[in-house]
Amino acid sequence: MRARLAWQLAVIAGVAVAIALLPFGLSDYHRSQGADVAVYVMAILGLNIVTGYTGQISIGHGAFMALGGYTTAILTHDHGWNDLATLPVALAVGFGAGVVVGVPALRFHGAYLALVTFAVALAVPQLAKNYSHFTGGTEGLALPTHTGLWLYGVGWAAAVILYVLTWLLLRGRTGRAFRAVRDSEIAAASAGVNLAVHKTLAFGISAAFAAVAGSVYVLVNNFVNPDVFGLQLSLYVLIGAVVAGLGSLWGILAGAAFVQLLPIGLTSSHAVSSQAVPVIFGAIVVLVMALIPRGSAEVLRAALGLPIRIRSGHHSSTPHSLEAR
Amino acid sequence: MSRRTRFSLVAALGALAAVAAAAAVASTAATPGVTAKTVTIGGTFPLTGPAQLYGVIPKAENAYFQYVNARGGVNGRKIVFKVYDDQYNPALTVPLTHKLVQQDHVFADYGALGTAPNLAIRDYLNKAGVPQVLVATGDSYWGSQYKKYPWTIGFQPDYPGESRVYGQFIRNKVPQAKIGVLMQDDAYGQNYYDGLVQGLGDAKAKIVDVEKYDSTQTDVSQQVVKLKASGANVFALFAIPTQTIDALVVATKIGWHPTTFINNVSSSPLFMGLAQKSGADVQGDITAGYVYDVWNNPSSATTKLYKSILAKYDPGGDPLDANNVYGVASAWTFVQALKQAGNPPTRAGLMKALTHLNTVNPFLYPGVKLQTTPSERFPIDQQILEQYKGQTWKPFGHVFSKAR
Amino acid sequence: MLGVAAIRRPRTPSGWIVPGLLAACCVFLLVGSLSSSLFAQQTVSGLANGGIYASLGVALVLIYRATQVINFSQGALATFTTYVAWQLMSWGLGYWPAFVLTLGIAFVGGIAVELVAIRPVERRGNVLTVVIASIGVLILVEGAVGWIWGSEVKFMPSAFPARAIHVGGVAFSLQDLGTIGVSIAAVVVLWALFQFTKVGLAMRAAALRPEAARLVGVRVSWMLSLGWGLAAVLGAVAGMMAAASPSVLLQPSMMDGVLIYAFAAAVLGGLESAAGAVVGGLAIGALLNLLGSYVSWVTPQLLLPAAFVLMLVVLLVKPSGLFGRTQVRRV
Repeated sequence: MRARLAWQLAVIAGVAVAIALLPFGLSDYHRSQGADVAVYVMAILGLNIVTGYTGQISIGHGAFMALGGYTTAILTHDHGWNDLATLPVALAVGFGAGVVVGVPALRFHGAYLALVTFAVALAVPQLAKNYSHFTGGTEGLALPTHTGLWLYGVGWAAAVILYVLTWLLLRGRTGRAFRAVRDSEIAAASAGVNLAVHKTLAFGISAAFAAVAGSVYVLVNNFVNPDVFGLQLSLYVLIGAVVAGLGSLWGILAGAAFVQLLPIGLTSSHAVSSQAVPVIFGAIVVLVMALIPRGSAEVLRAALGLPIRIRSGHHSSTPHSLEAR
Repeated sequence: MSRRTRFSLVAALGALAAVAAAAAVASTAATPGVTAKTVTIGGTFPLTGPAQLYGVIPKAENAYFQYVNARGGVNGRKIVFKVYDDQYNPALTVPLTHKLVQQDHVFADYGALGTAPNLAIRDYLNKAGVPQVLVATGDSYWGSQYKKYPWTIGFQPDYPGESRVYGQFIRNKVPQAKIGVLMQDDAYGQNYYDGLVQGLGDAKAKIVDVEKYDSTQTDVSQQVVKLKASGANVFALFAIPTQTIDALVVATKIGWHPTTFINNVSSSPLFMGLAQKSGADVQGDITAGYVYDVWNNPSSATTKLYKSILAKYDPGGDPLDANNVYGVASAWTFVQALKQAGNPPTRAGLMKALTHLNTVNPFLYPGVKLQTTPSERFPIDQQILEQYKGQTWKPFGHVFSKAR
Repeated sequence: MLGVAAIRRPRTPSGWIVPGLLAACCVFLLVGSLSSSLFAQQTVSGLANGGIYASLGVALVLIYRATQVINFSQGALATFTTYVAWQLMSWGLGYWPAFVLTLGIAFVGGIAVELVAIRPVERRGNVLTVVIASIGVLILVEGAVGWIWGSEVKFMPSAFPARAIHVGGVAFSLQDLGTIGVSIAAVVVLWALFQFTKVGLAMRAAALRPEAARLVGVRVSWMLSLGWGLAAVLGAVAGMMAAASPSVLLQPSMMDGVLIYAFAAAVLGGLESAAGAVVGGLAIGALLNLLGSYVSWVTPQLLLPAAFVLMLVVLLVKPSGLFGRTQVRRV
């Protein structure tokens, strides 16, 4: 047990050191890309909490990112706030929005919940277009530029903080309650877990993380408009979360790197015609799903010699999760 | 010397050497993107995604560059044009532009398409001293905000200028006009509306109804029905292509036959043909144009050249699509400026050439000149009114000068 | 199994809410149309759009009933098959021969997609993995359309004459009426398939109780492929009608806007009910036009959120949709 824990900590420490040292060997452009990976890490962390650990499907996380992003943009552009000071505000706004969405979401399950969150993802950019004197509308708001190093630092600092918070949260009672809700709501309720509170809390925390991710995203791009938070973003966060592996914190970096670096890498490599890029990316997504359906977490755990978690799918008829220790 | 002192001395010498080397490199550094044999430029365009029907433009531009390269290039340098797909999403435009500047070392950001994408990269490019030239959007910013953004310049006539022409025409030639406006509910539509109102001047009260649509609404029948009900007999159609075609078809379907003004972006004969096939009656509709009339002069030398360039270097491009003529005209303008940007060309030289234009572009309508000064930075100021007859636009009247 | 299929539950008092609501809506629309030709025209135009949403919505319902999967790529597959039809016509085939051939190609194509992209994933993954795979197919297929045929807008002829008939100041486009008619016909065909044929029963069994179905000899995996094939055929029909409509046209992203409302229609009607998808689609189409026309604070940008808010309100009252059956979950 202790040896395994030591192994895990060593790997994590190694990754942390690598992340900290990496920017010094990279160009400014690649550092910004690194910051974008941090953005996806945070968004995927959030999605994992609500979907992977609590079992509620959400394909609307782009909406929460938009809230965070616009909060940062409006406070910085119109009210002269310091960029970093807006991040905690975004966190709070995101949490509030997540709770607001989480309450009606209690009524829905499965496909219906997925489609309701899908609707939210589409509706939020429309609201941004409508209240254009706050948000700049389609012409958006242009923000001050930052160096790649600054963005990398801010993005990864936020990501690391949120990652540690997530780990602490999931280890404790709340985390166990989340898992109980995911595996069987009825069993959890009969064991005394307050379903409504925990499901809503999961949404709130998840949205808060996505909002911070959105804030950093806007800082990286020094620009915001409704197109920045379109449907594709929500879909990419979802793809990233599943490629990472739901229900585990191990694969998050792989998932984030996949959805951030692969599409733009293909687009800018000129190895193939630009119009072939979506064909290749789509094919790779399908292939990844066929090869590692439980995500890279599974692969990583196997590679690290960690026990495999047998986890049944969501809403299946025989819910139980066995953790071999 | 103590070890510490020796160490400090070595460090200081090393730093000095590094600075000197950097200075040496900087002073003899060539302009980015320029070598003895090539000039590399790049831009971001919507090749996939909702705005992809404009994705034909960079292909036409590249076709012209290939044509020039086949004739030895500009001052012996061939043009390398890197086209990146930003899907009209500023969150992609920004990193791709950073890549163009920092990794591809482009000489200039050329022809990037879209207002929001260009707004997103304008600060970065101007700070880095990278020319942001001949941007493919009709907002006025590129010409009017040059003091703050000296490295940026547009190309096409701006939208307010175009609709001002419509306003003036209606005021002078359509005395009993009752105008119904359909506009996109954002800055794009607002630009046209403002110009129309300016052109109408004291005849502004002739606008009887304004209906708006959002770009996610592909069906505008609800708005067109209301416009007909308002009794309008003039239709100012300030919409992007998909909604324009829909509006034209719906108008005919519900039996409304106003005098229709269509904005230039949506009036390509390609779209008019689609509208006709779908049942729209577009005879007599009016638009403003500025590119060479390849449709009514099929055997002129210019048309033949244009078609041969497309056939050889952009075989998938439809010669009837006005966007392709636009692309060739824009590319011609860049080549012209590059010729005057020095040998070897410099970025400052390029901007100087583009702000001192006074030339005839063979791919523009005869009489429409490319004209700029350092304080008047709208390369194309003139347009010709055209009326749709049969299957093509027929220019009429004279070239409107200085619509500003 | 047949006995199970034939049981009908008695209608409870609350079971009259939905039919009552729909009847009230119909009365409202009728009264409004009779009193104002503007209202009538807006309703008619709205219903025309609704027909397009409904036709794709039915395909979504079919896939969900047959495979329990939300197929994000339904619209893209419809687009692809529509382009195939266009290609056949540009090679000289007439409209109807091309139409029929396209349906055949769509059937085969749908099965192929299921075999190649979904089956391998479904075997080892869970529902969410399959959803992601369908998103992958969406990206791939929509990209393929642009890559093969380019991004210029093209013309797709309509199966119906482009005439409009005028009744009392309101224009009815034959094309729009045809679209609505075809959607309704699709619902009837599906209903007949599921209710009366052995294949339909086998498909339902394979979707709801795969293990039990296998025990009685149903080839479950073939039923899933069949579901995808049929849904692709419905999608092809939807695509060809949509592309002929001036509000959609033939372009690679043509189904993006339609898919959103098709999903809303399917969810509103109850994901297991094809009739619900049609009712939902028509309702959404009419609602959008009327809201935009008469409620001034609903600006064009707010139409999409407004439609979803109303859908949400209906779902809060009836979480499984207008015609959906309440899910009973066992411990």
